[in-house]
Amino acid sequence: MNQIASAKPKDYKSAVKPIWCPGCGHFSVLNAITKAFAGLGIDKDDTVLVSGIGCSSRLPAYVDSYGFHGVHGRGLAIAQGLKVARPDLTVIALGGDGDGFSIGGNHFIHACRRNVNMTYIAMDNEVYGMTKGQASPTTAADWDHSKLTPHGPGVRPFKPAALALASGAPWIARGYSGNPNQMARLIAEAIEHPGFSFVHVLSQCITFCPEQTDWKAVVNERDEPALADADEAARMFLHENGFQTGVLYNAARSVWPPEQVELQSADITEGFRL
Amino acid sequence: MSNQQLGDFLAHSVELESEARERYLELAEAMTGHHNTEVAEFFGRMAEESRLHLKEVAEIAEGKALPDLKAWEFDWPEEESPETASYEAVHYRMSLRQAMLLALGNERAAEKFYRSFADSSTDEETRRLAAQFSAEEASHAAQLVKMLGKLPPDENHHLEEDDDPHMPE
Amino acid sequence: MAPKELSIAITGAGGAGVISVGELLLQAWAREGGRGLLRKAFGPQIRGGESAALLKLTETERYTAASEYNVLLAFDWNNFARFGDEICLSPGAVVICEDAGDIPAEVMAVEPRLIRLPMSKLAAATHADGRVNMFALGLLGQLLGLTADSLEQLARQKLINKPESYREAAGACIQSGVAQTLSCEVSVPDCGTKGGWYLSGNQAAGLGALEAGIRFVAAYPITPASDVLEWMAGGLEALGGNLVQAEDELAAINMIIGAAFGGVPSFTATSGPGLALMTESIGLAVASETPITILNVMRGGPSTGIPTKSEQSDLNIALHGLHGDAPHLVLAPLDIADCVYTSAWAVHLAQGLQTAAIVLSDQFIGQSTAVVSEPERCDPLVVAEQANDNDYLRYRLTDSGVSTLAAPGDADQRFTADGLEHNEKGTPSARDDDHQLQLAKRSRKLTEHDYGDAWARIEGEGEVALVGFGSASAAIAEAAELLAEQGIAARTISLRLIAPLQQQKLQAALDGCDSAFVIEQNHGGQLFHYLRGMMDFSQPLHRYSRAGPLPLSGKAIAAAVIQESRS
Repeated sequence: MNQIASAKPKDYKSAVKPIWCPGCGHFSVLNAITKAFAGLGIDKDDTVLVSGIGCSSRLPAYVDSYGFHGVHGRGLAIAQGLKVARPDLTVIALGGDGDGFSIGGNHFIHACRRNVNMTYIAMDNEVYGMTKGQASPTTAADWDHSKLTPHGPGVRPFKPAALALASGAPWIARGYSGNPNQMARLIAEAIEHPGFSFVHVLSQCITFCPEQTDWKAVVNERDEPALADADEAARMFLHENGFQTGVLYNAARSVWPPEQVELQSADITEGFRL
Repeated sequence: MSNQQLGDFLAHSVELESEARERYLELAEAMTGHHNTEVAEFFGRMAEESRLHLKEVAEIAEGKALPDLKAWEFDWPEEESPETASYEAVHYRMSLRQAMLLALGNERAAEKFYRSFADSSTDEETRRLAAQFSAEEASHAAQLVKMLGKLPPDENHHLEEDDDPHMPE
Repeated sequence: MAPKELSIAITGAGGAGVISVGELLLQAWAREGGRGLLRKAFGPQIRGGESAALLKLTETERYTAASEYNVLLAFDWNNFARFGDEICLSPGAVVICEDAGDIPAEVMAVEPRLIRLPMSKLAAATHADGRVNMFALGLLGQLLGLTADSLEQLARQKLINKPESYREAAGACIQSGVAQTLSCEVSVPDCGTKGGWYLSGNQAAGLGALEAGIRFVAAYPITPASDVLEWMAGGLEALGGNLVQAEDELAAINMIIGAAFGGVPSFTATSGPGLALMTESIGLAVASETPITILNVMRGGPSTGIPTKSEQSDLNIALHGLHGDAPHLVLAPLDIADCVYTSAWAVHLAQGLQTAAIVLSDQFIGQSTAVVSEPERCDPLVVAEQANDNDYLRYRLTDSGVSTLAAPGDADQRFTADGLEHNEKGTPSARDDDHQLQLAKRSRKLTEHDYGDAWARIEGEGEVALVGFGSASAAIAEAAELLAEQGIAARTISLRLIAPLQQQKLQAALDGCDSAFVIEQNHGGQLFHYLRGMMDFSQPLHRYSRAGPLPLSGKAIAAAVIQESRS
């Protein structure tokens, strides 16, 4: 146990220095996570950050909690296994858009559906950074900056919030790397939400998508309270521009797994004896 | 009422200076990692100035009742505290001039923030301290302007480089 | 004189309740102290196709598939030919069937002793709800000398959730079947001591895992491993653990890695295609030193292959399927009962050495049910860990290679487990020295561990050695017996620990042998090539490798050995 009564955000940083490009939005997510932890007075020893592979997935090493940096796309699976086995822990999975919506897409929709009490932060910069800037499932169809898809990917990008909603996620928020303080609040609320909480973060890539610095002009904070009605939310997520931030959807759903019933018999060999 | 005003003001001042310092340190580290030594050293110096200013503010705040605010409970004019350089405003190949201009913007935003308290607070002590802090930020800004004046112009400086980015994973 | 074995095949169309007859018959036989094996064979349909219960009653607990059947009870002859290559009748076999309809020529060819009865009519006449399978159970029970009351009691227990009238009908039909006058008799093997266990290899593997401390399982359904999971779901509930049905094998393996990282011993079960999907993340468990155990119940491959039949063709992927240098454990159970021991040993080793253990069971061992003496248990492992210094280094370079594994919740031992190469602290590193040292650490902890005598079961002292693993173990034991009858003394070496290979111990076990045969159920000779690549043999090494779907035959192995020794 390592309860920090009046911990500062910087107390939650590890000694490992980020390898991210200066200008990268992921610095802001790291900042927001440490601010959320400080705001909640979270216990470092009881907290685990789990990630897959990619720029954003490097984040666990930069936080002074327990961490697991796994393989590409599987962070959510590791995190769910951990949380089901150790419900006493605070478990946060995080990763990028390629990790979460492409190679890990199946785990994403099933995590939304399963509703284990944990948080998932998807740091979406619409590009694969670690492999030199290829299009991801959230890249615009006409984005032609990658040699792999010289005419653009040519297919519609995913709408992660709509995908989450359709898959059964009970709590959906969106943050922006230009506003780490708001993001810190969203992450803190996500951690406190009983169930699977999905924080979609617009996190700019300065190296491969420098045009994303223009996001600042279009990002807007949603004033209304979070929607609780799935039909309304579906309309919103399908038709919005994808730049509104805040807690967007919050519906009550029972968490999985349910609390365990009293143990009955522990002689598991009984059925084998003649 | 006035105690609360002063407490709020000091809490914001402490947060402003400590955020400024931490951000400059972080940016200095990131620039070091990306071998932009000149800018890294400059951000390091800015972090040191913020540390001195934080020390001063903290000494004033010593013994006073400050509200315990979470990061998202501060009331800033923009998304982040005024003197904090946005993570997204930097570039690993930014020039010293660009870094100084960024810092100048921060100093001026801080000066403006403090001055708004100096102009509008109904608490005398708050007005006095705010005016003092505002003047200090203004003097930092003036120093930066002077340094900028001495700096040769950025010639042939490009953010782009010839090599392709790396593929670390 | 009592025969050593008696094999009974029961066949019929779906819905006939063929499997239930086999199970109840074997259970009643086991209650008398009898030993025996029950295999099930099915057509490709999920429901309504043909099924067969294949029983082999034996004197010993060395269970191989029957090479021929002495008794056949056929409810009908529809698609009997589908079992043609699996059910060979012995000359003069007892064949019980309806009194109407033509008997297939291949059955008549063995000149069977026929018992033709209007079984359906007799069952219907016995009780309004009478079922022909329970009547047949009575007939077979009578042949084996079992009492109607014993059979009825077991049947009632099995039908506990059905209406009373259903149970009544079953009882009446059993009594009626036992009371029939039959035109011939069979002699049965001697019974052993009472009080045995009745379980499948899959259940045994699940039991061993739970007894060794497994409290988290995540898995994706796959034949023939699903019944491991079904049994474990109940067991875990009783013990206070969790089972997650994952969205795919990629999730399953990573979920158990996550739970294991949380300090909860974790396990999954799968078969070839699932193991293939898991291999990337097994490498993650190796690199991050997260203990996990994977039970792979092998079936015919590659690709979807022959999912319901046994094979030993996943040895290559289990040994070599991981990318990079990823030393890990590969074990195999010796037989059905030994699944308890081997599964538990794998868990203890994985936990103690902080690595991944793959247990290679196979469909024959996994899905056959047998009567066995209470299985031997595996003691927990004693692993010397590093001194717990204050400066916690997750991947500390210790002499044993084993470093202290903290779990979330442990005070002040925070670290980030990583699949990236890392230094002692766990910080990602691409440095040459870190890579060399950590590779050596992960290898050392496996090679330096003392595995004791459990690495293999060695029997006999002949000049010919038969080496195998998994379900080949019983087949080579049978072959050795047949060879002895031909005057060839053979010793058998059944490997329980395949990786890391215990070269010196295997060398010693082969000491004095003129020749050695590697016996395995696959096409390519996977174990043969592995052994050849890993060590030098001082005697000629021969291979006998035959892929599924038919089980390995002791007779065929013995014949191959004789042929080789003559040439």
